[in-house]
Amino acid sequence: ATTDAGLGIDEEIKIVKKRQPVPKLDENRLLSSAGVPKLRKITKDRLKFKGKGHEYGDVARMLNMYQLWLDDLYPRAKFADGLAMIEKLGHTKRIQFMRKEWIDEGKPKTTMELDREE
Amino acid sequence: QQTTLDEWAKDPLVDPEIRAHVYSLISALGGTGDDGTYQLGDDALLCLKDLRKWLKFADGQLNRRDVARCMAEANLVKGDLLEILAKVSEMVTHDKPKHRIAVASLELLVPLTWPFEIDPVEATVNHHRHGPYIQLAQINYKRDILQFDRARILQTAVRIALPSMAIPLRERPPRDEGVIRIALYFIRNIVMLSPPKNIPLDGDEAEISRSATIDTLQEQDIFQVMLSIASSIGEDFVTQDVIILEILFYLLKGIDAEQLFMEEKKLSTKNTEELKNLIQKEKSMLASYARHAPSRHNRFGTMIWVKRDEDKVSTISGQDVLGKAQKSIQKMDTTKKWNKPKRPGRKKDDEQAREEFDLPIALTLSAQKSLKAFVEEFLDSSFNPLFMHLRKAIERENDRVETRHSRQYFYLASWFLRAECARRRTIKERAADRKSTEVLTAEDESYGLVAEVMNQETFVLMNRFMQKSEDEKAWQDLNAGMKCFTQILLTVQEMADSALEEDQEIAENILNRIFYEESTHDRVVSVLRSYKDQGFGYLDACTELSHVFLRMLERYSKQNVDMQVRCRKRARKIRKKQAQAQGVDNNEDGNVSETEDITAAQRTVSDRKFDFHRFAAKFVNQSSVNTFISFLKFYQDMDTEQLKRAHRFLYRVAFKMELAVLLYRVDILQLLNKMIKGPEGLDFESPCFKEWEEFVRHFFRSVVKRVQDRPELVVEMLFSKIPATIFYLEHGYDRELPTRT
Repeated sequence: ATTDAGLGIDEEIKIVKKRQPVPKLDENRLLSSAGVPKLRKITKDRLKFKGKGHEYGDVARMLNMYQLWLDDLYPRAKFADGLAMIEKLGHTKRIQFMRKEWIDEGKPKTTMELDREE
Repeated sequence: QQTTLDEWAKDPLVDPEIRAHVYSLISALGGTGDDGTYQLGDDALLCLKDLRKWLKFADGQLNRRDVARCMAEANLVKGDLLEILAKVSEMVTHDKPKHRIAVASLELLVPLTWPFEIDPVEATVNHHRHGPYIQLAQINYKRDILQFDRARILQTAVRIALPSMAIPLRERPPRDEGVIRIALYFIRNIVMLSPPKNIPLDGDEAEISRSATIDTLQEQDIFQVMLSIASSIGEDFVTQDVIILEILFYLLKGIDAEQLFMEEKKLSTKNTEELKNLIQKEKSMLASYARHAPSRHNRFGTMIWVKRDEDKVSTISGQDVLGKAQKSIQKMDTTKKWNKPKRPGRKKDDEQAREEFDLPIALTLSAQKSLKAFVEEFLDSSFNPLFMHLRKAIERENDRVETRHSRQYFYLASWFLRAECARRRTIKERAADRKSTEVLTAEDESYGLVAEVMNQETFVLMNRFMQKSEDEKAWQDLNAGMKCFTQILLTVQEMADSALEEDQEIAENILNRIFYEESTHDRVVSVLRSYKDQGFGYLDACTELSHVFLRMLERYSKQNVDMQVRCRKRARKIRKKQAQAQGVDNNEDGNVSETEDITAAQRTVSDRKFDFHRFAAKFVNQSSVNTFISFLKFYQDMDTEQLKRAHRFLYRVAFKMELAVLLYRVDILQLLNKMIKGPEGLDFESPCFKEWEEFVRHFFRSVVKRVQDRPELVVEMLFSKIPATIFYLEHGYDRELPTRT
């Protein structure tokens, strides 16, 4: 009889609350739409330089842009910490591959066109 | 302080029986007699010997520290031992029984003052329990011995050893060697003991400082003893070399050799200048704070919104951010609470290691004077014999040489080279001064006084030492090796600039030898590249070495256009091909020849023309940039020379080598921006500021231009560059590979 009772129905089920996982700044986050794609977009529209004579202001504005972007991407981390984390991600295969893609996108395709013209 | 037997029995720290035995022996030793002076007990000598046995067997063999603690609590050193030494001090050289008692006291003092360290393998709970107490007690011993007013204790120790020293080396029995040894170890212990940094100290620290030690050594003529031993090393003394080395090391580490040789007047002007600079620095610091300080009281309660894209806002409180966009952005960052967790695993002894010799020590004027006199005499009489003897001992790996000794050897070699260079400079200045009557003599001109560390044997030893410590990750050792190497290079440079033709020739020769080995070149590069968390002292040493090395090599290779280096060659492949060509039929001895091949490949060396430009290119890469950037992060604590060094390197990277792309990284931009524009930036008044400002402006201009040309850089600036894309990012087109036909 005792075995019957021991089916486990009567036993209280302990519910252990799982800890909310801490969001991570990882490859996925960096490659998501809030990550590098957004950075590429906002720099296209918004990065304006004043040029000669305003070197410090230009760079400061650029740094601010990075900081605000990083704050949106991963609000937990301070600027310097976030930069270090992203730099480290840059050593992974996947990001390195993507970096090459991004660069190649920007490359002028002159050689191809020249070939066609000839 | 426990006094009664009952209290002892309850004492959880020390075995009551041990305490009872030790205390009874101490009280039987003697005490204040009828005439008010110290009277020896009837069996004082036996008591001393018994106490020594207790220390040796109860503590040593059972691996405890109980006896040492009892002796500290019972005030044995000041109350008895020093009194005994004072009493017998005068007659010690000719009165046999008195001499014996004195030796027995010294034999107790040496283990009691032996620097206490907790060995992680050997230590028991007991060690940790008594450690702090004993360390403090030892500091008190040092104070008592230095400040003892009734006799010169250190001198007495030497006097005890004098009869033994007088015996020629060959006829000296081992017992006399032992007496000399304990006397010297006693001096070493006293010089070496320094207040533990993790335990608060009661009492005046000035009484046990380096200056106080030097003053006492001077007053008790210990410097003379050290000089006479060091100068006759190899003749009358052999095994004492390492003890002298240790005494010198603990005496000199951290002291600025240049400052020591500055003339008094110059020194005082330099000191006032330093004070002025410091005040100025503080002023500019306060000013930069005031610029950002709130102008109302702290409950003024301002709050602002920062509008961001997509109609988002961030709120920041505090009136200091009003109307200053830059400031509000900074505040948004600094109020974040989360910090990136630091990687654990770095060894905890980092700080202790730094203490080894990267901690600057200031001296009082009197100490400076006597130390200077000593160093001068040492250089004149003892440097060469002692350092030659030590080098040979280290080479032979004699039993008495321990691992720390080679580190100390190289540190001291660099120290004395620096001192000698500084001294020569002051002599020259004085001679050049028309008002003074001094003239340069031939002896002043020659570098013979330090020749013993500038020969091929030393270079071989040093190279081997540096290689070994790099392989074994013994960073402090490597640090000492680098310091020595740097100093040798600097000395050679001064030699090359000397007026004597002979000196120039010698310098040329030395450089030939140093620069001939390609492995040396590679080592300098690899040390610079492989920096990781070894601390500021190490960073300073490795950046200085590469800076000096590169500069001198550049000069040298310009003068010697057809410079050759000896490099290893990978010969295996060629040999294999040859073997294959010869035919397959000698298959049987194929295995043998292959192993032969490998060993041959490792050994084959050949000369190759040296190309400075290619070599300099090795210095310019991502990891060495990282090293210099981590060095530059300390810009607020750096002096002019260090700032200059970092400036030159970055300049070389950005403009000489045209690899500025390596520096296009957001964190580097931020660091440079902060250095110039603050907050907490470089001081405007500092002599390097202008140079840096100029450089950063130039560099920033190139950044802006490049980013406009190639928007891909915006993303790439987050990362260290990969070799595949560096060339494109820098030039805007792919490198055309030479096509092979």
